[in-house]
Amino acid sequence: MTEPLLKVENLRIELALRSGQAPVIDDLSLELHAGETLSFVGESGCGKSMTALAIMGLLPEGVGSVASGRILFDGRDMAQMSDEELRGIRGNEISMIFQEPMTSLNPVYSVGEQIAEVLRRHKGMNKAQAWTRATELLDAVRIPNAAARVSDYPHQMSGGQRQRVMIAIALACSPKILIADEPTTALDVTVQAQIFDLLRDLGRETGTAIILITHDMGAVAEMADRMVVMYAGRKAEDGPVRPVIDHPRHPYTKGLISCVPHLLAELTEERPDLTEVAGIVPSLGSFGADACLFASRCDLADDRCRSQRPPEVAFGDQHSACWKADQL
Amino acid sequence: MTALLDVKNLSIRFPVKRSWGRSSWLYAVDDVSFEVKRGETLAIVGESGSGKTTAALGVARLVHASGGTVNLDGQDFLSLEPEDLRQARAKVQVIFQDPYSSLNPRLRAEAIVREPMDSIGTLPVSERPARVAELFEQVGLRPEQMKLFPHQFSGGQRQRIGIARALSTNPELIICDEAVSALDVAVQAQILNLLRRLQRDLGLTYLFISHDLGVVQHMSDHIAVMYMGKIVEYADRLSLFNNPKHPYTKALLSAVPSVDQKRKVERLLIPGDPPNPLDPPKGCRFASRCPFVENACRAAQPPLDEIAPQHKVACIKASH
Repeated sequence: MTEPLLKVENLRIELALRSGQAPVIDDLSLELHAGETLSFVGESGCGKSMTALAIMGLLPEGVGSVASGRILFDGRDMAQMSDEELRGIRGNEISMIFQEPMTSLNPVYSVGEQIAEVLRRHKGMNKAQAWTRATELLDAVRIPNAAARVSDYPHQMSGGQRQRVMIAIALACSPKILIADEPTTALDVTVQAQIFDLLRDLGRETGTAIILITHDMGAVAEMADRMVVMYAGRKAEDGPVRPVIDHPRHPYTKGLISCVPHLLAELTEERPDLTEVAGIVPSLGSFGADACLFASRCDLADDRCRSQRPPEVAFGDQHSACWKADQL
Repeated sequence: MTALLDVKNLSIRFPVKRSWGRSSWLYAVDDVSFEVKRGETLAIVGESGSGKTTAALGVARLVHASGGTVNLDGQDFLSLEPEDLRQARAKVQVIFQDPYSSLNPRLRAEAIVREPMDSIGTLPVSERPARVAELFEQVGLRPEQMKLFPHQFSGGQRQRIGIARALSTNPELIICDEAVSALDVAVQAQILNLLRRLQRDLGLTYLFISHDLGVVQHMSDHIAVMYMGKIVEYADRLSLFNNPKHPYTKALLSAVPSVDQKRKVERLLIPGDPPNPLDPPKGCRFASRCPFVENACRAAQPPLDEIAPQHKVACIKASH
C-alpha cells in the first residue's frame, strides 16, 4: 500500500479544565489516503471536531493542546510546526468547511472578493487573475450564472449556495485534503443531496481526499470509503464502511445504526420500537479513566469493561476497541 | 370514526415590507385542508419555508389565521372567545423544537410542568403537586429532579420536561414541532420511543412536524407533504413511502441517504431553489424545478385530487 497522505499516531489532546487536564482525544490513530473519503462518526462531544481542528492546527489556544502523539502530513509532524509553517499548509494543502455557511462568510465582502482573497494570499495572483479564477471556481461548484453571482454578497444567496461558496474557497488552492465538518446539517435534504453530489464529483475530479464529519449513518454509507467511530475521545471502531455497517464489531456502532429510524427499500406495516442506547456521553472529567468509557451504556458490559481499557482487536481491515468484539 | 382535528382551507399570511414603503402579503400557508383521526399521527413534512410549522402553529392559534376553519373535537377553535379559548387550549398542547430556549430558565422543573394547569385551571389546586409527580414518572424523570432548574438537565431530559408540560392538561392533540431535531441520535431514539409509548397509553393524537423523513416514516400514520405553503401530496404511510406520486415527494425521498443498500433509488435532482414566496408563480409552484414540467403546469394550480383511497396528489401528471 502507498504511504498515507495523513497519518495520526497515538494522538492525545488535553483540554484545560478547572479540575485539571482532561484528554478530549485519547490515543487516536488513523490514516487518510489520497483520493479517499474518510468519515468521523459519533455523538456530540465525542471529539470528532476536535480531531479536525487539531489536524488544521486550529486548537483553541491556551485551552486545548496536543499532549503527545504525531500528526504526520507528507512525512512532517504538524503538531511540532510553527505558526508560519502551518499557515503554508492551511488553505494550501488542507482546508476546511464548516457547519454554518451563514456565519462562515464575511457579510461585508462580496463572495468573489472572499474567494479572490485566498488566491491572492496563497497563490500570489494579482487582482484581475484572482477575480477571473473566482468566477471559474463558482462555476465549478455549480452556481448558475457564476459571472454575475460572483459580485453578490452572502445575504443574497441561499444556504446551499453559501455552502457552495465555502467549498469554492476551500478548493481554491487545490488542497490535498478537505475537511468537511457537518457540512449539510443546516441545509434541507434536497440541498444536502446536491452538496454531497458536488463533493463526490469534485473529489473524483481533483483527487482531493475528504474527511467528512457527520452523525448521519446514511450519509456515511453514501459518501465514505472508510469510517472512524469515535466515542468519548477514543476510537471505538474503524474500517471500510460496508463491513462496519453490515457487521459492527462495537456495541456503540451497533447502537448508532439501530437507534435511527431509516428509510428502507420497502417499508412494511411493522414498526418495532427503536433500539435505545441508554444514557448519554460521559462528562469530560471521566475521559481519562482506565476502563471502557461506553460500559455505563452497554448491555454487554462486565467488570473487566469497567476496570480495564479495551485494546484494539482486528477483524480484517476492521478494528474494534471492545472486550466483547468477538461476541458481536 | 370522526376526525379529532378537521382543518379546512387554512390560510396564514404575514405582511412583508418591501422597498419604498410598499408592503405585500406573504402567504406562508395557502388554502390548506387536512384532518387527523383520534389516536393517529399526521406528519407534515417539507423543507424550510414550506409552511409546515406555521400551519401547525395556526392550528394551535399561536399565529393568527387569515382564513379557514379549525374544527377540534366538534368545536370551531378559531372563533372561540377568550375564556372558552383558554379552556379549549387544554386540549391542544405543543412540544417545541429547542429544549434549551423553550423552558423558562428561572423556574424549577416542577413549576414548568405545573404552569399550564395553573393558567388553565384544569385541576383543583390541591391535586396539582401529585399530578406533577405522576407526570415526572410518566416521562421517565426521577422525583428528586423536580426541584432542579433547566440548566441542570441534559438536552434529552429537558425535552422530557417539555413533554410532561404538554401532558399536564390532559390534551387530546399534541403538536410536536421538530421535537427531536435538536437531539443527538441516541437521545432522539429515547424520546421517539417515549412519544410512541405515551400515544399508546393515553390515546394521544399527534400532529408531527418534521423534516427528517426517517423519523416521519417511523412515527406517522398519514403524511402531508408541503411545498411553498401548499399540500402537494397526502397519503397513508405505506403509499407515501413505497409509492410516492408527486415529483417533489419523489425528489425529497430520493435525496435521503440510507444505510440500506437495497434502497438504490435513482436520485431525482431538483435544481435551484424555491421561487420567491412573495411572488409565487401562477401555476404549479413546483413547476420551476420540476423535471417533468409541461406548459399546462404553468397555466393553473393543480388541485389536490384523490387518485386512490387515502392518497391525494396535486399534480396534473400524476392523476392520470
